Amino acid sequence: MNIKMQEKILVIMNTVLENRTKEKLTSITPEMHLRNDIGFDSLDLAELTVRIEAEFDIDIFEDGIVNTVGEIFEKLERK
Amino acid sequence: MNIFFKDIENKRIVTWDFLIEDIINTSIYNPYCKSADYYNVFKQIILSLLLDEEIILLDSDFTESELINLIGYTDYSKFNNPINKSKVSILGNKKELIANLSNSPKYWKITLFTSGTTGIPKKVSHDFNSITRFVKVTERHKENIWGFAYNPTHMAGIQVFFQALLNGNSIIRLFGLDTKDIYAEITNNGITHISATPTFYRLLLPCNETFPSVERITSGGEKFNEKTFKQLNQVFPNAKITNVYASTEAGTLFASQNDIFSVQPEYENLIHFNNNELLIHKSLVGKTETNIDEWYNTGDIIEIVSKKPLKFRFVNRKSEMINVGGYKVNPHEVEEAILTLSGIKNVRVYPKQNSVLGNIICCEVVANCNQITESTIRKFLQSKIQEFKIPRIIHFVEEISTTRTGKLKRN
Repeated sequence: MNIKMQEKILVIMNTVLENRTKEKLTSITPEMHLRNDIGFDSLDLAELTVRIEAEFDIDIFEDGIVNTVGEIFEKLERK
Repeated sequence: MNIFFKDIENKRIVTWDFLIEDIINTSIYNPYCKSADYYNVFKQIILSLLLDEEIILLDSDFTESELINLIGYTDYSKFNNPINKSKVSILGNKKELIANLSNSPKYWKITLFTSGTTGIPKKVSHDFNSITRFVKVTERHKENIWGFAYNPTHMAGIQVFFQALLNGNSIIRLFGLDTKDIYAEITNNGITHISATPTFYRLLLPCNETFPSVERITSGGEKFNEKTFKQLNQVFPNAKITNVYASTEAGTLFASQNDIFSVQPEYENLIHFNNNELLIHKSLVGKTETNIDEWYNTGDIIEIVSKKPLKFRFVNRKSEMINVGGYKVNPHEVEEAILTLSGIKNVRVYPKQNSVLGNIICCEVVANCNQITESTIRKFLQSKIQEFKIPRIIHFVEEISTTRTGKLKRN
């Protein structure tokens, strides 16, 4: 996963967090859990998938729910 | 199991004995119930039944402006009334409590709010018979353990609550927990029954383990897709999976093993079709503020599969209501809330299909000042409407796209 893509994902995640007045992230790592570590709920996950799709043209939840940041990276790399 | 309710999120385990003692020791009753603690909501419903008085359920996340719109005030403490102790002091044990509850209360009604079609949510009230119409109390149901996966102030949650309560079952909270906690609760408590929206199940998947204790999975509120259905079958190998059709106005009406619904013979005369729209007889509908005619238009479009016996499947909805993970959102209500922000000239709220929630709310906004950003609108709305009604994607446009007839276009 190239650094630029990772940074874009971080920006998208922070937009979602900021919109819910939740605390922003300074960095992300592949093992971070979207719900348990980052604190996304189902509304946030729904928004995240739309924003990632607008940027990368891929629906990350199309084949079931992904749980970690690393799984999002995998989906984008496989594209 | 002698547990009435377990909620690991709030670190609560309530036994039936504790519940009875707690009810006996409660001295004040207020018909308005707005609490984020599920146990409080359940206790309040039980109290209202024993007292044979109305209960009005308010979502715990209703904002002050929503409360003003719905009930006219935000402070309802003046409705606090001392409890007539003679009505609750006779409770000895779980069996007596349940017998007392089922003793058809005369004046009791439960009032809840549903997204109306005109902008403001509307009030719907049910009496004891209508709320328990589909509750099955039998020996076979006595040992059920329910995974509670709905908001307790919504119709679906209330129906699960009554099914569990009147059979003396244990209720284990699953709603709002992390996936790993949900699975842990299913195993630790030997949950046998779960009723939830497809979104709830979707968020549990994929999963490589199996949970053999679960005998029944019920889903409703949105369409279930084949893939989710297959995955659920693997995770819950002993569960029978049922789809239900239900609404706040009428509660559960039909159930099916797939997407084809059949009608019980006793209800055949109480449903009717007009241009393929499902109409239900007023005797099946709770009381609403606006009087309904003989037949209530559900707004659901069906396709008849066979006439005798009557079988049909749901095709789509005629109404503009947007289904967000099982919650109905009225686009007009959201538009009205956005328009109260100064600097907004025009707005259009519309759904976008989404793999997590079925649909998400989006909007187009015409703003007449540069200070308005996505984040100012979102923050403003947090004090106006419930979180699930707030648009997740906001586009700023020069002009709103309208249909040829001049109506705002939603799709």
